Amino acid sequence: MTEMSKIVRTITSITFPFAMIYGLYVIAHGHLTPGGGFQGGAVVASACAMILVAFGSKWTIDKIKEKKLSAFESLGAIGFIALALLGLVFGVAFFNNFLTGSNFLFGNIPPTGSVFADINTGGVLPLMNFAVGLKVIAGLFVIVLVMAYATTSFKGVKK
Amino acid sequence: MSTRNIAAVIVFSIVTVFFIFTALLMHSFGVPDESDMDDYIIENTQEETGANNGVTAVVFDYRGFDTLGEATVLFTAVAAVIMIFRRLKND
Amino acid sequence: MTFLELLHIIVPILTVAASVVAVLLKDLLAAVIAVAAMSLLLSLEFYILQAPDVAIAQAGVGACLTTAIFVIAIRATKRMEGEA
Repeated sequence: MTEMSKIVRTITSITFPFAMIYGLYVIAHGHLTPGGGFQGGAVVASACAMILVAFGSKWTIDKIKEKKLSAFESLGAIGFIALALLGLVFGVAFFNNFLTGSNFLFGNIPPTGSVFADINTGGVLPLMNFAVGLKVIAGLFVIVLVMAYATTSFKGVKK
Repeated sequence: MSTRNIAAVIVFSIVTVFFIFTALLMHSFGVPDESDMDDYIIENTQEETGANNGVTAVVFDYRGFDTLGEATVLFTAVAAVIMIFRRLKND
Repeated sequence: MTFLELLHIIVPILTVAASVVAVLLKDLLAAVIAVAAMSLLLSLEFYILQAPDVAIAQAGVGACLTTAIFVIAIRATKRMEGEA
């Protein structure tokens, strides 16, 4: 996919940070506001796909290789399963929320009912949100990137 | 009208009738028949998991195995796409 | 009839209309845009049914990434639907 005109590239450069920050906010506040790892990861992957369409697949794959994105995706999956297994080690069962009630990290317990949000709550849920968010960002973006780059190169060879 | 068209019309009518009956049998919005599980989760989410967002608490804590299966589906999809298009790029 | 009840009637009708347009069009690129419009209207319907997290996921995956993948696939093949 070749790069588009200067107007499209300028508008993309302006709107890209807003979409990126919104997606990262949805991931980071997944245990307080609507959304979570999958939703925020889909928003961030959409922003990255906008960059890919505007600047071309050659430029994008020079910036970040698909092997690196694939490694990030595997890292997210390993982190998710490792957090679940830590529940088996420190707690009583697979997927046990062992950080809730401890004074270590994300350990506070909010009072029941409609309260002001406290970021330091949730136990392992924020960490699982980060792991799943990393996995979804890398996974969805690597699909679009590999498809765009492969079809571009394929048409060039065929002509 | 051929036999194939008649068969298509019959199948379409049956499916339409089933959909209309299903729409008529739906109960109203926000009034479930069984609400024991909903009430338990709404009352106990904040003190058991510490999260204010009940949906995330259900997805990652109460029903963690479903999320594990979803992650497996995404991983398989990415692996299949990379396996197909890496071959195409090297041609 | 309040505005919200009117919205509950209008948005599903527009969703069905957009999907019918997507089936009928011969230009596949226009059909993909119709599918994107259908997905965005479905996201709005999820939002007014008080499911904002499903609406975020639908808007991100359905309206953006699926459209990008379809457009890439159309660019690698033919744009017009063959007369079958």
